[in-house]
Amino acid sequence: MAESSSSGLTFKLHPLVMVNISDHYSRVKSQMNPPIAAHNATATTTATNNNNNNGAEAVETASSSSSSSSASSPRVFGCVIGVQRGRTVEIFNSFELLYDPETHSLERGFLEKKQELYKKVFPHFYILGWYSTGSDAQESDMTIHKALMDINESPVYVLLNPVINPAQKDLPITIYESELHVIDGVPQLIFVSSSYTIETVEAERISVDHVAHLKPSDGGSAATQLAAHLTGIHSAIKMLNSRIRVLHHYLLAMQKGEIPCENSLLRQVSSLLRRLPAVESGKFQDDFLMEYNDTLLITYLAVLTNCSSTMNELVDKFNTAYDRHSRRGGGGRTAFF
Amino acid sequence: MDAEIAQKTWELENNIVPMDTPPSGGAARTKTDPSADAIFYYDEAAQTKFQQEKPWVNDPHFFKRVKISALALLKMVVHARSGGTIEVMGLMQGKTDGDAIIVMDAFALPVEGTETRVNAQADAYEYMVDYSQTNKQAGRLENVVGWYHSHPGYGCWLSGIDVSTQMLNQQFQEPFLAVVIDPTRTVSAGKVDIGAFRTYPEGYKPPDDPISEYQTIPLNKIEDFGVHCKQYYSLDITYFKSCLDSHLLDLLWNKYWVNTLSSSPLLGNGDYVAGQISDLAEKLEQAENHLSHSRFGPLVTPTQRKKDEESQLAKITRDSAKITVEQVHGLMSQVIKDILFNSVQQSNRSNTEPSGPEPMIES
Repeated sequence: MAESSSSGLTFKLHPLVMVNISDHYSRVKSQMNPPIAAHNATATTTATNNNNNNGAEAVETASSSSSSSSASSPRVFGCVIGVQRGRTVEIFNSFELLYDPETHSLERGFLEKKQELYKKVFPHFYILGWYSTGSDAQESDMTIHKALMDINESPVYVLLNPVINPAQKDLPITIYESELHVIDGVPQLIFVSSSYTIETVEAERISVDHVAHLKPSDGGSAATQLAAHLTGIHSAIKMLNSRIRVLHHYLLAMQKGEIPCENSLLRQVSSLLRRLPAVESGKFQDDFLMEYNDTLLITYLAVLTNCSSTMNELVDKFNTAYDRHSRRGGGGRTAFF
Repeated sequence: MDAEIAQKTWELENNIVPMDTPPSGGAARTKTDPSADAIFYYDEAAQTKFQQEKPWVNDPHFFKRVKISALALLKMVVHARSGGTIEVMGLMQGKTDGDAIIVMDAFALPVEGTETRVNAQADAYEYMVDYSQTNKQAGRLENVVGWYHSHPGYGCWLSGIDVSTQMLNQQFQEPFLAVVIDPTRTVSAGKVDIGAFRTYPEGYKPPDDPISEYQTIPLNKIEDFGVHCKQYYSLDITYFKSCLDSHLLDLLWNKYWVNTLSSSPLLGNGDYVAGQISDLAEKLEQAENHLSHSRFGPLVTPTQRKKDEESQLAKITRDSAKITVEQVHGLMSQVIKDILFNSVQQSNRSNTEPSGPEPMIES
């Protein structure tokens, strides 16, 4: 089912969507498997709560509500929204949906209601597709996919694999599109996976960094700020370094003949190298130096301000010291009030 | 490997508690280290019990901490930034846990909040009710536990209108929290600028002056800030994320490092920095005027005013230092990128020995 797509659309995914889906999943999972202590204390209430929730969630976990201790993986469903410009599909946000286990479809009324609400706050976003959790796309997903086709003629299906695998290097998210393929003479819609890139705005990047990579939460001293900033850049450069090393070893192996020569890869590497230097023109140098000078100027101004403030304090202290001698007696000032 | 060590160090310093500790028995709900993702569990009975007890009525300083989930933070910052220079607002959903308020999720309200509207929330009641209902159906059981809004460019504090709104909220919708985010300063400084506040009830005098982190306030807002700054107190904010979140965010770094390297804060913030500098110039003029007055009237100037002028100048110095530091950081990134990617000469000679990302030929 998962060949690679040939539709030519590029997908951009925002980290907010990932955190959304992950939170939805953790929430549902935790409501179904309440922590042991709380579970014992409030057994009856949790059973009722779970029953209320389960009516709306996937059918395979309905039986495990009140006696579960092993982790059962509920499937959660929802909708992704974003913008499509030409051939680029950018997925910005997502929200939850209700799944009807009997008809294997998502509740349409609920979807429309939620869509209205989200339109009010984010008027530019359209429904681009839907998401779910699990390890692989399943047959029943196709029915949901087809149902969404009347809102968007080629919806995307974002699948998150919630199993935490520490050896994994890649994001456990796959984006599927549907394509019409002829199998055994019968045209059928099947899922094909597509590649995607992670896209972000500066504010999102900073908050993701903040939560994931632990920049210092309060001001700290100038030294810690500097350290944090440089550490971030340092890690990024280390990643760059390791990636280039990998490429380099691969090329060496090709040169020695251990690996068959792959011309398309060689072309890509060569075009990459030819792109350096990234920008080389007189105009860039001018602008760059101007920016440099601006920053130096600001530093100069700040230092001047600092100096004048220190001078001011010194002069005031001086004056106070002197004034006391020239006034009648000590502490003459307070006598005036 | 240094990245891992650095990560562990920062994790300790920042109280970010990933939820993967094993279950710890009876007191799990009230400990600060809940069991595996237990913080995501909504215990309706315990919450209603807490609501009925109302321990905050007798102690205006009852709530001391706030825990914000990764999701809520991300949503709030993105929403605040998307408003540009317009203030935006939204609500937060969550629950309470002893003396901490836990924010699980946030959602935006379709309301344009301006500083002159007293109760912008009233417009959005219908939206709020609709949204809460649909959320409950979809499995988000928490109640609304606070509101957030943005102060783009002028810092995290409560204005006069905000204080009166929050006092009203705290009378009728307890427990309620106010959060303020400054998306412009977030982007400029490279760290999230956020503050959580609760107001004191009318007429209550706090026993001691709370020590708050200094932040620079633009001239046109400083009066509003000063008049009301004693009427509320700020709460400590910590963040939490689930195991799956941590896992995803770790993996995300594999793709994300490109964005970190390619971000150019200098370019994006030119307007804001220029505004800051001109504001600083005005403050400097004001301080200078005060100083020159005091020069001519040493007899009638109380010593106190002299002290204020000095601290005014000291504040200005601190502000200018902050602006400069941010600029210098931005410049450092630019210079590093320039060295990495630009100091290469095209040459027909074959490659030199492998040495990682150093330029092929030093210029």
